Amino acid sequence: MVGYVCKYTPVEIIEAFGEKPVRIESGCKSYERAEALLHTNTCSFVKGVLENIIENNIEEVILTSCCDSIKRLYDVLKDRVKFIYILDLPRKKDTFAVDVFYKEIIKFIDAYKAFKKKGFTVENFLKILEDKSSFKKTQKSSESIAILGARLKDDVVEKIKNSCSVNIINFTCTGEDRIFNIESEDNLLKGYAASLLNLTPCMRMAEDRSKFFYKDFKGIIYNTIKFCDYYSYEYAEMKSQLNIPFLKIETDYTDSNSGQILTRIDAFFEATDIKKMEQKKAKKGYFAGIDSGSTSTNVVIIDENKNIISYSIIPTGPKALESAFKAFEIALNNAGIKEKDITSIVATGYGRVSIPFAEKMVTEITCHGKGAFFIDNRVRTVIDIGGQDSKVIRLDESGNVIDFVMNDKCSAGTGRFLEVMSRTLGISIHEMAKVHAEVKENITITSMCTVFAESEVISLIAQNKDQKDIIHALNKSVASKAVSLVDRIGRKGKYMMTGGVAKNQGVVTAIESKLGEKLVIPAEPQIIGALGAALIAFEGTNG
Amino acid sequence: MDVVRFYSNIIKRNMDKPEKINKLINFGLATAYYYVSIFKDKRGPNSLHYLTKYCIKSIKDSLENPQNSAWVNIFSPCEFLIALDIKPLFIEAYSSFMSGFFIEDYLIDTAESRGISNTLCSYHKTFIGANELKILKKPEFMLTTSSICDANVPTFRYLSKKQNVPLYIIDVPYKYSKEAVAYVKNQLLEMVEKLEEVFKRKLDLDKLREVVKIENKTRTLINKYLNYLKEKTLLIPMTFEMYMLFASHIFIGSKEILKFYEMLLDDIKNAPPRSGKSIFFLHLLPIFEKNFQDYFNFSNEFHITGSDLNFDYLEEIDEKDPFRGIAAKLILNTFNGEMERKVTRIRELIEKIKPDGIIQFCHLGCKQSIGGTFIIKELATKMGIPFLYLDGDCVDKRNNQMGQNRTRLEAFLEML
Ligand code: SF4
Ligand code: SF4
Ligand code: SF4
Repeated sequence: MVGYVCKYTPVEIIEAFGEKPVRIESGCKSYERAEALLHTNTCSFVKGVLENIIENNIEEVILTSCCDSIKRLYDVLKDRVKFIYILDLPRKKDTFAVDVFYKEIIKFIDAYKAFKKKGFTVENFLKILEDKSSFKKTQKSSESIAILGARLKDDVVEKIKNSCSVNIINFTCTGEDRIFNIESEDNLLKGYAASLLNLTPCMRMAEDRSKFFYKDFKGIIYNTIKFCDYYSYEYAEMKSQLNIPFLKIETDYTDSNSGQILTRIDAFFEATDIKKMEQKKAKKGYFAGIDSGSTSTNVVIIDENKNIISYSIIPTGPKALESAFKAFEIALNNAGIKEKDITSIVATGYGRVSIPFAEKMVTEITCHGKGAFFIDNRVRTVIDIGGQDSKVIRLDESGNVIDFVMNDKCSAGTGRFLEVMSRTLGISIHEMAKVHAEVKENITITSMCTVFAESEVISLIAQNKDQKDIIHALNKSVASKAVSLVDRIGRKGKYMMTGGVAKNQGVVTAIESKLGEKLVIPAEPQIIGALGAALIAFEGTNG
Repeated sequence: MDVVRFYSNIIKRNMDKPEKINKLINFGLATAYYYVSIFKDKRGPNSLHYLTKYCIKSIKDSLENPQNSAWVNIFSPCEFLIALDIKPLFIEAYSSFMSGFFIEDYLIDTAESRGISNTLCSYHKTFIGANELKILKKPEFMLTTSSICDANVPTFRYLSKKQNVPLYIIDVPYKYSKEAVAYVKNQLLEMVEKLEEVFKRKLDLDKLREVVKIENKTRTLINKYLNYLKEKTLLIPMTFEMYMLFASHIFIGSKEILKFYEMLLDDIKNAPPRSGKSIFFLHLLPIFEKNFQDYFNFSNEFHITGSDLNFDYLEEIDEKDPFRGIAAKLILNTFNGEMERKVTRIRELIEKIKPDGIIQFCHLGCKQSIGGTFIIKELATKMGIPFLYLDGDCVDKRNNQMGQNRTRLEAFLEML
């Protein structure tokens, strides 16, 4: 078994040696061993690869001179595995570049020959190449969704494929068919080197990629990896120039955030109509929406005239399902009706997948948009700051979601952030929410990260700063995170703020002053998602 | 420095008026230039004074004459620009100056709000931010290399597309070979063609040879300077070591830089014998970090005896075939290729200089350097030299944990 990571690796040669090349996926639970050898701030993918090599005892590794992180991975691995080779991969593909790469492949073959004490036959190699070429598939791009950006884990690609009916083409380092057009036999390896360099270029290559990707796909899902900087440029560029549905996700190769990623992908498909829901006629009766969030579970029940007849908000316990049952029961009781009176139930939120009695699952993005627009149809931007994450959703004139952004993983700028800080300050979150207006000194918290901000707060306390001023500073910090999310999709009013933090007048005021506009705050900002779900249950469609 | 803060506030208030900012920045640089010309810092050597002036002037010149300037990164082969009389502006230096003007946070936030990764090196983010806000006048040309730093190719590609300015990317292979040299040489030839076309002038080969000759002479002086570091001490601030990057990289080959090293050699010859503890830095110095400033600037107790980035190439360039020679230099840079090469150079330098300690300031976002931290730590342990690494940012001051860093730095210095 030979481990490799890059699509430019000459895997066919390894196969011709009779060995099995295995692409290292790098998913892992912790970076404990990797971080003993590599600085914490190295790209998560590389740390994951290192962790996997150690854990699975991979003895032979082939890398390419892809990026600074991979180069350092090589340096670290050099004396730790039995065979390691880093291929010098040029960034251009002119004849001189082909020369460099061709010589490099020959050197690699020699090195591997010497290590394995065996070689390979040309016939063997040719056969492998031919087999691959025959798998040539052509797919019309206008009917496909392209996955671009940094490498994406196979299971995520699989899940994307399963959540929609259109064709998905994976252009990241992990995708792409290997097609070879090799001409004469006497120049076999050179031809092979050239055709490898001619694969669709990744961001590392010198070639301008826009000519490949500015054609009309049905939509683009763009992946970036934390600490990998290559792709954000292309994302920034494409974002301002493309006018097809476009979704950015950030993955980090730990397993922890795939739930959030799938939510985004689902919401994207819902918003772009790629995941069609069957249209149903509205029925009589009552309709419920259950929003199973990470901090609270909320239920809204509406009647056939879309009147909210009851709702409930309870903290989400360790088991999402139990909390959902409980919240549902409370709402039913409040409304004075029985479960059998409910015609249809839609679930949303993180826990939506674990609610068996719901008829349908819709992401909180779509539901929030729906609920917000229902409350006030002038709203074009919804700022939802919940306990664990925050999002900004853009609506069009008809209330359809046309774009959205979510915070990445960390808790800065969420309800959780305020909670941590209230504990640091030694007051309750409710007391904290009451403080606003009276500011004596305009303090600014500079750290973006919750952990660092906490130490800043501690030092402010030590400096005897007024508690109200510290709270004001914290509110400003949450506000600036929220507004920077807004700026990522562009400003457009009216704004509505939803989620638990909307009850905090200090944060609301701070956001208003940054946006220079009043926010619409619904009477009960926490139930907007559940309301949207109930409306979808009523309409039988999410469109 | 309250004047600087005051000035930075004016700039920040006018961020929506790029023309005005551009003027303000040029004004700031002009003021700084006259300030250092008139008020010589008596604590430092003559060469410091000379170099400071030269660096500020070079930035000022390229900003004021965009029609005769090219944006480059620090590892670009500027010999060609010198021979063609084109003024290079290296983006890392520009960003450093913006940090000196206390406006880096604004520029970085701007870049990030456009979608640029927040983990990207802040030298690049600052520059991209300035470009987004249009406070930089567009140059005639851009030039970058793929070597050493991942950020270069995508940053320059992004800038060149935004500004619609021609860019030449020199792809420098990771390994040295006959083919690799031919590959780079060919690109240098192609690049010169592009330069000639854009700037409408012809490269005079003799002039290029002259530049290379001066560069070789300069390197001889650098090697001589290295031999003195073991026994002599120059009182310098951290900025000096960073200004030296102008001399060891972008402008090497110019007469002014040759003169600088002549002065430096004189200064070190006449400097007092070494006393106190000497610290060798790796890669970059956090010139805006107060903790470091307090300990190292003009300090007799703890002084800086160099940084490996200023000694990443110490050999001669082939004067007969300068294209080939420069190609070889690009590939053989100790920061290019395997870490082993860099480690060997660091070992050589340490044996020569015999510092009392080594500090690596792990600049956030710099994958190439932080990735090798533990390998260098191993080397230091083997050589029996105390080694400290600290995390932080050389540009974005918000990323520095001052309290934490101070404790660790002090503990390390106490240890020596
Ligand atoms: S970015 Fe390019 S060179 Fe790097 S691993 Fe992916 S395909 Fe290979
Ligand atoms: S994810 Fe990015 S930084 Fe990490 S190994 Fe791949 S290209 Fe390099
Ligand atoms: S500090 Fe590192 S990442 Fe930043 S420009 Fe320099 S080499 Fe590149």
